[in-house]
Amino acid sequence: MKHFTKLATAAALGTVLGTAAIAQELYTPNLAYRTGPFAATGIPLMNGQADYMALLNERDGGVGGVLINAEECETGYSTEKGVECYEKTKGTAIVTQPWSTGITLQVLPKTNVDEIPILAPGYGFSPMADGKVFQWAFNMPAGYWDAADMIIQYLEGEGGSLSGKKIAFLHLDHPFGKEPLPVLEMHAAGKGFELLPIPVGLKEMQNQSAQWLQIRRERPDYVVMWGWGAMNAGAITEAVKTKFPMENFIGVWWAGHDADLKLVGDDGKGYKSISWSFPNPDAPVMKQVKEMVFDKGLSQSNEEEMQGVFYGRGLVMSAILAEGIKNAQENFGTGQIDATQLRWGLENINLTNERIVELGLEGMVPPFSTSCGNHTGHSGGWMLEWDGAKFVKASDLLKPNVDGYADLIQSSAAEYATSNAPWAMNEECSATN
Amino acid sequence: MLNDIFIAPFSDMISAPDFLMQVLWEGLVSGILYALIALGFVLIFRSSRIFNFAQGIMVVFAALTLVGLFAMGIPAWISVGLTLGVMFVLAVAIERVVLRPLVGQPDIILFMATIGITLFLIGFGETIFGGENKVMITEELGIPTGDTVLEPFGGLLILQHLDITVVVVATLLVLALLAFLNYTQMGRAIRALGDDHQAALSVGISLQTIWVLVWFIAGIIALVTGIAWGARAGVSFALEVIAYKALPVLMLGGLESITGAIVGGLMIGILEKLFEIYWGQPLLGGNTETWFAFVLALIVLLFRPQGLFGERIIERV
Repeated sequence: MKHFTKLATAAALGTVLGTAAIAQELYTPNLAYRTGPFAATGIPLMNGQADYMALLNERDGGVGGVLINAEECETGYSTEKGVECYEKTKGTAIVTQPWSTGITLQVLPKTNVDEIPILAPGYGFSPMADGKVFQWAFNMPAGYWDAADMIIQYLEGEGGSLSGKKIAFLHLDHPFGKEPLPVLEMHAAGKGFELLPIPVGLKEMQNQSAQWLQIRRERPDYVVMWGWGAMNAGAITEAVKTKFPMENFIGVWWAGHDADLKLVGDDGKGYKSISWSFPNPDAPVMKQVKEMVFDKGLSQSNEEEMQGVFYGRGLVMSAILAEGIKNAQENFGTGQIDATQLRWGLENINLTNERIVELGLEGMVPPFSTSCGNHTGHSGGWMLEWDGAKFVKASDLLKPNVDGYADLIQSSAAEYATSNAPWAMNEECSATN
Repeated sequence: MLNDIFIAPFSDMISAPDFLMQVLWEGLVSGILYALIALGFVLIFRSSRIFNFAQGIMVVFAALTLVGLFAMGIPAWISVGLTLGVMFVLAVAIERVVLRPLVGQPDIILFMATIGITLFLIGFGETIFGGENKVMITEELGIPTGDTVLEPFGGLLILQHLDITVVVVATLLVLALLAFLNYTQMGRAIRALGDDHQAALSVGISLQTIWVLVWFIAGIIALVTGIAWGARAGVSFALEVIAYKALPVLMLGGLESITGAIVGGLMIGILEKLFEIYWGQPLLGGNTETWFAFVLALIVLLFRPQGLFGERIIERV
């Protein structure tokens, strides 16, 4: 009996100490994909995200003195596995990072009930910009509708009026690929150009000869690509093969991965990608990551990958999350914030130029701010161009004309809420706040 | 509508014959690659009645091994030789560790075992090589790049040297395989096993040796396929999905027929391209290649359940 009492006491003590130990961290799970057909693009992003959190833990002891536990749950970019990961990690999570538009759409209604913020930087459902309706969802610093609008603006700026021209829209036949269609269709109607959607199936990503034969036959003035994973490399190699002028070929920010362009090297010169992030190897944060994470063997990355667009973007994503955590900690006077408090933190991000410099991120992300009504931030982005060896900036900061599709955001958000009724909204917030 | 279906496509073909030639060429290149993958399935099925679910991941594994060995500083062609060695070791390991203990088990068990092999190779490959996209060593292998531009009928026909090489090499490989199966003792042993297991075993054909051999041949096919596809869009685990394109080829041609795999692959490659360009894109918004081959195969199965070239099996009860 004595022996049993000792064991029970030890177990109870262990549980208490264990709980105390767990309590001294903020759990920010990442529904990552380092495996499967999209792994090639996922790995550098996940490495960037993980390394920034590792830097905060090493350099500052976490955020506000509380360590960050940025555990990954592997989804392989599968929506089913993504939902499983969400359910598995949501217990003590203060945020969920679903990492695919398909997974985002699936967990969106769940997070509204579970009251956990979704952080989907630069992806997900574009009407998430309406923070009144999507009170738990964030896609800052820019959404897909921003990207589509900036690309159209850029094309007009470079080649003049788009009236009478033809734009082929090469996209993955997946929720992600179809996201910008409403804004592209709106611009096609308003500006008088012909929009030619060309879907690419998941099994056809690496053999797009039919799609590029169609492009050859239709002779579009421009090709805009919403590609991801192996689709990007497939499209770029086909574009080279069919001798499509690279300078008239523009991709979204997920179609601007260095490794995809290295496949074609010089032949890809002139290819462009709109981007809300830019790699800056000279930024102080990069040097700190190198010294405090990479050199200590805490990173899964390599020096070549760390120079690339996607690694830098992953870093910025974690910096945005950390900024939200810091805001919440300061506002609520506690290091150990919960999901509701983090939502407040993410709704009050004010990443000014000064703050970007303070964080050591200069040149890597445009300034932006969020509010309860604006969960996207609409930071704008740069047009990047492949110079044969790396991406370089080909434009000044472009800003989306959000007013042009603000009504579309609100009506789409309202439609979503109606079709998913009862849908809890943030009634205290106005979409223009 | 009737005009769009029955007249406009043919009128387009006649008005732009150079474009039609380009479509046929692209279809031929895809088709010969589908046929190659299908051959890997057929060889294993014929000799062991196993539907090899791992054929796709073998393509990835072979290509990653080649690129990985080259990255270690080993010259390109020596890397090819070593990769073939790795595929041989893999064949021996599969026979010893997975297949031999399962001899006599129902076919579904063996099929499930190949799913296990797939999962193992995915995990093992990712651990060894990582999941990043890698560049195929096309130039180092001496595979010509660039293109030849022809102007038939005053139009434009672009022939990629890589595609020409793929067609030539794949054709030679198929011919070599046919010669091996028809004119060598081992080849005839494989065919004998496919025709009648019990009879083949009774005359002393070694099941173990044949299994190692067919898995090794499937490995060679996987390497050639991996080089061909990898040269087009990089080497990554996304290559695995290419193997699924062989499924309708097998349905169409028959799981046991080498001729069926070749004819089925070419038919699907060319027909799906023609349908996509002249009917799918104008009438259905495109992306018909995802389902066209399966529908074609299902139509064939309605009339010939054993496929175009499969053996009709009559079982007496």
